[in-house]
Amino acid sequence: MNATASSGRTFPGGLGFLRPPAEIELGAYGLDLRGLRVADIGAGEGRLALGAARDAASVLAVDPDRGALARGRAAARRQGVSNVKFSEGAAQSLRLPDASFDVVIFSWTL
Amino acid sequence: MVDALQEAHRILVDRGVFVDARPDSRVSARVRATSARGRVIGTIGTQRLTKMDDTMSDRAVRDVLRRKLFHSRRRGRLWHAIPFEDIGELNDYLTDHLRFSRRVQWLVPAARRRTPLFVERAVRFEILEKKSNDGLTSA
Repeated sequence: MNATASSGRTFPGGLGFLRPPAEIELGAYGLDLRGLRVADIGAGEGRLALGAARDAASVLAVDPDRGALARGRAAARRQGVSNVKFSEGAAQSLRLPDASFDVVIFSWTL
Repeated sequence: MVDALQEAHRILVDRGVFVDARPDSRVSARVRATSARGRVIGTIGTQRLTKMDDTMSDRAVRDVLRRKLFHSRRRGRLWHAIPFEDIGELNDYLTDHLRFSRRVQWLVPAARRRTPLFVERAVRFEILEKKSNDGLTSA
């Protein structure tokens, strides 16, 4: 079984595949993330964060769910991604410095 | 929600980019038969409370735009298809879904509901840019 997104490409998936693939969603945004510092707030298991890490200089994935963050870290290790950090936090009170990111993503967060 | 948007604004550099992407509850999800591009045989609405939440989120975004913390660069929508082997699997999925209505509004008789099924949902997004000379005020 495959999941598809608007481009018509197909991707391996199934019932666990309930969100668009990162490359499709990020592609739709039309942003050039090369060399940028990205914060993915409400990142869950890092679906978008890991996708953004392919181009971005660094990605911070923030989520209140420790279990999801642990799964995200494991996925990053598996994929050999070293420029993503996972951090516990809530969108309403981010413990992050002012003016420290070039791009902030709220995907399915608000 | 406004608090979260203000936090996003705070951690962004001047002219930094903020992306807000969410399921689009203004558009019913489509149930397609046999393939992700197959015939639309049903629709699935959004639960009333979820629509109200989405309206609140829209208001929060409008608020930060009105306060000139950001300006809108671009809006768009993408479609995402979720596969289901059969109607039973789809019904199970809908039973405890937090956004979708509990049942499909079928557009064809039961005999013509060929499987597999694909639920195609809209995801809308807006790209905002932090204004370099912001006028941050209390909400």
